[in-house]
Amino acid sequence: MKGFKYLIVGASAAGMAAAHTIRQCDQEGSIGIFTDEIDPPYFRPLIPFLISGKKKASDMFMDGTGLYVEKDIVINSGNQVTTLNINEKKIGLSNCASVSWNKILLATGSRPFMPKKIEGLNTQGVFALRSLSDARQMAKMVDQSKHAIMLGGGILNLKTAFALLEKGLKVTLIVYSPEVLSQLMEPDDASLIRKALNEVGLKIITGVNATAIHSEKGKVKGILLDNGVDLPCEMVCVGKGVKPNVEFLENTQLTLNEGIVADIYTACNIPDVYTAGDVAVTFDPVTGASMKTALWTNAVEMGRCAGKNMAGIKTAYSGTLGILNATQVANVPFVSMGTVHTDQTDFQVFRHRTDKSYRKLVFRADGNQLLGAVFVGNIQNAGLYRYVIREKMKIDHIKSYIIDHQLHYGHFGMRKK
Amino acid sequence: MQQQKEIFVKIDRCVGCRSCTIACAVAHSESHSLFGAISEKPMPKSCVYVEWVPPDRKVPLVCRNCDEAPCMSACICGAITRNEQGMLITDRDKCIGCWTCVMVCPYGVIGRHEETHKAYRCDRCPDRDIPACVEACPTKAMIYETVESYSESMRKHASIEISRSDKG
Repeated sequence: MKGFKYLIVGASAAGMAAAHTIRQCDQEGSIGIFTDEIDPPYFRPLIPFLISGKKKASDMFMDGTGLYVEKDIVINSGNQVTTLNINEKKIGLSNCASVSWNKILLATGSRPFMPKKIEGLNTQGVFALRSLSDARQMAKMVDQSKHAIMLGGGILNLKTAFALLEKGLKVTLIVYSPEVLSQLMEPDDASLIRKALNEVGLKIITGVNATAIHSEKGKVKGILLDNGVDLPCEMVCVGKGVKPNVEFLENTQLTLNEGIVADIYTACNIPDVYTAGDVAVTFDPVTGASMKTALWTNAVEMGRCAGKNMAGIKTAYSGTLGILNATQVANVPFVSMGTVHTDQTDFQVFRHRTDKSYRKLVFRADGNQLLGAVFVGNIQNAGLYRYVIREKMKIDHIKSYIIDHQLHYGHFGMRKK
Repeated sequence: MQQQKEIFVKIDRCVGCRSCTIACAVAHSESHSLFGAISEKPMPKSCVYVEWVPPDRKVPLVCRNCDEAPCMSACICGAITRNEQGMLITDRDKCIGCWTCVMVCPYGVIGRHEETHKAYRCDRCPDRDIPACVEACPTKAMIYETVESYSESMRKHASIEISRSDKG
């Protein structure tokens, strides 16, 4: 195969955003994307809708929507990259072919973390929803199942749980943390969401882990929990976080630290090699600590930054908030962003609760900087709070509006005290 | 390509009457009349917001169609696309109501339609020559012009101000 000026490994958020950004900056240079997935690039967060039947796979394709409207980008689907040769500037594919590159972006993403402590994860009927093909497999099992057990209380599992509820299954969520969404908020912050989930009929068991999955004739029959309870089920869905896809890079000169280490220009330690998305290890803009985020929006932003750098427009990645999530579950919208876990810290925290809404605003201990926010029920103008957090804005003249959730764009033009 | 017109706001002229808000909601109603709009369910929404800043300043806000649009980059379902006129359009069929756009819009001008569970924003009234909000503004605080002609009028205004201060 002919080589590419810009070769991108991975065709999801970061890879696609980078490719289209490169094309905006460089009309001529050849761009080739390689992905092991068979489907054309698609919006990964939508895959639970394939299970509920609300969307078809073709409704999820990226090409021609949003940022993804540039031309002359070669997408090689079903082509897994298995080796990276940095000295010869080549990649090796699973079909033994090799392809040369001038600049390369490693945006290989991540895959579900499968806890080894649980026995029987290889049984038919155990899923970890990551790709469209996973979703297709799962959709096929829905008709043969009455009860689905979801392991983990994160957003993906909640969305999948809703898809299964809509298909008429009984669904039980097993959460080791004291409450659902523990990565995104503290237990007390989630109480309205929990109430809404209970009301729509999702069964939730907290503070327990699964130990083993039983099977009969190779198919899931039930699950044993560490409190001794045994639940019959026909389907298990594992949503215990993700781990980056870096194994094929372990014998290269690249600096790895669980993921691929990037500098502030999204570049790796080897010239002409860049990284972005779930696989990239970046830094917290506030503390400077290294971090990985596994968020679609962050991956797009970093992919765009990498694209500019690869096309020769040196652009610093501003870093991102480790928590930056919005969604709606059971008719309750919520947003969580920045630093929101405040237990045993000296942050200044303001909470306000009604029967339909909840908010928490987290300030630095001296009260002069907004660090994080959780809005449940009413998420109006959430983007302004994100802006205040991210820009580390001076807030003394607008702090009362922030605490009262009254902030609007006009306040930014107010004279500072 | 013909230059696209934008909505500009002259804040010092806004008296906070919210005629723009009402006109927007009526223009986006089924009946296109005020009395009809009030009784429609779901109630038609306005995409223009008039905020108040102490001591007494009114700020009309509407989607700015950002060049580097955070909403379009952040959208997790490809519902936000820029059309040939450079306008950001939210495709209601694609929108899943995840509110990621609401979370990233730095102007706070993307609304949440609770009944339909879709995000909505200013569409610059594609069926009208002048957007309804601009047409309704009694003090001409909202202006619909191309960037070029608006900046020309601002330059003229500035030179008049200078000549006045010379005489003064």
